Amino acid sequence: MKSKTVIGACPQDCPDTCSMLVKVENDRVVSVRGNPEQPFTAGRLCAKVNNYQDRVYSEDRVLHPLRRTGPKGSGKFERISWDQALEEITERWKQLIAEHGASCILPYSYLGTQGIINGLNVGDPFFNRLGATISERSFCDSGSSTAYEMTIGHTAGTDPESFTRSKYIILWACNPLSTNSHHWPFIDKARKSGAKLVVIDPYRSRTARLADWHLAIQPGTDGALALAMINVIINEGLIDRDYIDRYTLGFEELRERVQQYPPAKVAEITGIPCDDIVQLAREYASTSPAVIRIGVALERHAGGGQAVRSISCLPALIGAWRQPGGGLLQLSIWPFPVNWGHLMRPEFIGGSPCVRNVWQLGQTLTESRDNDAGNRTSIKSLFVYNSNPVIMVPEQERVIRGLEREDLFTVVSDHFVTDTAIYADIVLPATTQVEQEDIMFSWGHLYLSYNNRSIDPLGEAVSNTELFRRLAKSMNFEDPYFYRSDEQMILEAVDWDSPLLKHTSLEELKQEGFVRLGLPKPDEYAPHAQGNFPTPSGKCEFRSTIAEQGNFVIPLFRQGYAGQQLGDSVDPLPHYIEPVQSQQATPELFAKYPLKILSPKSHTFISSSFGNLTQQMRQAGEQHVILNPVDAQSRNIQEGEIVTVSSPVGSYQAISRISEDILPGVVVSPVGYWRFSSQFTSTVQAVNPSKFADLGAAPTFSDVLVQVEATNLE
Amino acid sequence: MPHVVTGNCLGCRYTECVSVCPVECFHFDDTMNYIDPDVCIDCGGCIPACPVNAIYDSYNLPEEEMRWEAINQERSKELPVLSAPIDPLPGADEKKRELGL
Ligand code: SF4
Ligand code: SF4
Ligand code: SF4
Repeated sequence: MKSKTVIGACPQDCPDTCSMLVKVENDRVVSVRGNPEQPFTAGRLCAKVNNYQDRVYSEDRVLHPLRRTGPKGSGKFERISWDQALEEITERWKQLIAEHGASCILPYSYLGTQGIINGLNVGDPFFNRLGATISERSFCDSGSSTAYEMTIGHTAGTDPESFTRSKYIILWACNPLSTNSHHWPFIDKARKSGAKLVVIDPYRSRTARLADWHLAIQPGTDGALALAMINVIINEGLIDRDYIDRYTLGFEELRERVQQYPPAKVAEITGIPCDDIVQLAREYASTSPAVIRIGVALERHAGGGQAVRSISCLPALIGAWRQPGGGLLQLSIWPFPVNWGHLMRPEFIGGSPCVRNVWQLGQTLTESRDNDAGNRTSIKSLFVYNSNPVIMVPEQERVIRGLEREDLFTVVSDHFVTDTAIYADIVLPATTQVEQEDIMFSWGHLYLSYNNRSIDPLGEAVSNTELFRRLAKSMNFEDPYFYRSDEQMILEAVDWDSPLLKHTSLEELKQEGFVRLGLPKPDEYAPHAQGNFPTPSGKCEFRSTIAEQGNFVIPLFRQGYAGQQLGDSVDPLPHYIEPVQSQQATPELFAKYPLKILSPKSHTFISSSFGNLTQQMRQAGEQHVILNPVDAQSRNIQEGEIVTVSSPVGSYQAISRISEDILPGVVVSPVGYWRFSSQFTSTVQAVNPSKFADLGAAPTFSDVLVQVEATNLE
Repeated sequence: MPHVVTGNCLGCRYTECVSVCPVECFHFDDTMNYIDPDVCIDCGGCIPACPVNAIYDSYNLPEEEMRWEAINQERSKELPVLSAPIDPLPGADEKKRELGL
């Protein structure tokens, strides 16, 4: 028997990017496990990825190109060759371009695989060169990224490993035990050395259960809480005057602004008692080092961007940045010396492209709009890879109506015939991580990782890099850039001369599987002890100097394109924006739909990935909605009953779970279930609207009113 | 459906599993360890750490070991949590050899 262990790296859209040991026997992957050498991921994987081989060898894998033979959505396909598939795709595109212009083609993708060469930007050069519509991918962290840029700039913030030194830890809107589990031991170690752990979350998550103090906040009101904390900290003189003088901008204006948010008033908004708000502010300001970890959920309501801005002001006010283990952690991706521009090639974009936001796919596919030149444009072809929009995008029924359009030419590359791929004209087979080579950043730690290929691709599956090489050839692109080998792409993806990679060569990285960026040790690393914020002023900007540009999405999420931004005006000082759907804001809506819904990530799925696999489904249980006993009782709903969740956008069914873990008036229903694999068809995105939050075109999934009713089963 | 300790742990209790577990879900008595299924996050770290291959992901649990699922569930609730490794039981190394490991 031929047996070997290959060092890989997990490809999922998760902050942990685990180093993974892949065991191969006779050219077949038999198991995966965590690499014990990697200091952050430390020999563990998770409930999603422990049995990755089952994904690789699933009977449902797409291993050959397929062409649709029945009506859209019927699931009838026939096998075709790669040559046929490529010819059909590019012939259709050439015709469509001749007739409507290339902007009638929309690429649609995200981080179904997150490697640097196969992930976020792999198709950007191709579609930029083609002249297709720009896909604005504000899926995740986009609102926070805009808010960050307006406040402290694109910094990794506090090293997640420095948390062991922290004495006061606030986990704000995140549940690391389910979605960032390799960070937990660092938090736990701090606790064992006496740190206090505070969790702010409307839901008593796995993590909240282990907290010293769980503050169950009303959804969408986090910004008000942060502003009240600032109010207390300033008015009680708990500030670090020296830090503020040296390294911040706009303190006096902030002082004035937060007078609008006294704790008593904010107690009514947030549902957190006034005394608790004051205590939180005092403890946070007087326990050093204090650190805040924020989750993506924070940006997902009308005022999400400003909430992140307000929270980003807190560490500078108290000088928390002075010490290792103090400050703020959101995305650790920014220091990675990735040649982003070279991955996206925005200079290939000619003239004035059209831009469409990914969250508005339903709208994009069901109505045509004017572009700048005054031409009617509508999307005639959709190219989906690394994503499953039917499950992850709001207005589910509308998205499906769009995909059913007979005149829409849809191509989907995936591992499976997903709920999206079932509507495709052509389905292309994609490789899993063990069948491809990649280099990986992380957005949750500071190690560059390498994924060595373990086995040859199954069937005729190809990596995304190979997919775009083939498409470029079929489109007769001449630039040799489109024909680089994976090896060459990996070499060019990263700046190997960066001081952060001083002691590493690609060869060493391949052998080790990971390397910590050349930053100070976690025990010593305080990135903003002396300011050095990557903002225009170099300071933490309480008053943002770039707010006057108006609202924008960072070019990284727009194929490198910086033009045609949303541009709506932004108040340069942090402020509270109320939820758009509430008893006060929309009393008529509230009368019919009195419950707020949250749709967090599940413990066993990553977005929709793994929502079709037996083990993960078994563990997740049927699609469910969690209600407080008060709300269940008033609706006469019993545990385990089939209930209907509805909003003006749509409805879906789920099994009721009744628990004190959620506040009265709020319900929780995890996202990621597939329509195919659930006993019900629609899933939670059926009730969510496609409205944007205040910054960065973030979604508003924590700002939605629904009704839950017992289902009338005839 | 979390991780489960099975009979190989009986009489050896090396507790290597405890050093790797991120969430303190191991509970112990005089004979072996048990995983609290409500606390385990399924990180899989304890499987390769156990020198006698006593731990399984319940999804991969062999038919003949199924009964351990209920035993872990029940016993973990009654017993104290083990938050740091302790010495193996006397005879642990012999047992390991007997198991051919
Ligand atoms: S999904 Fe996240 S936690 Fe799980 S193996 Fe991948 S990187 Fe690690
Ligand atoms: S390492 Fe294995 S044998 Fe030792 S206590 Fe843990 S489960 Fe039992
Ligand atoms: S799987 Fe992870 S969390 Fe569960 S018992 Fe093992 S080490 Fe602990």
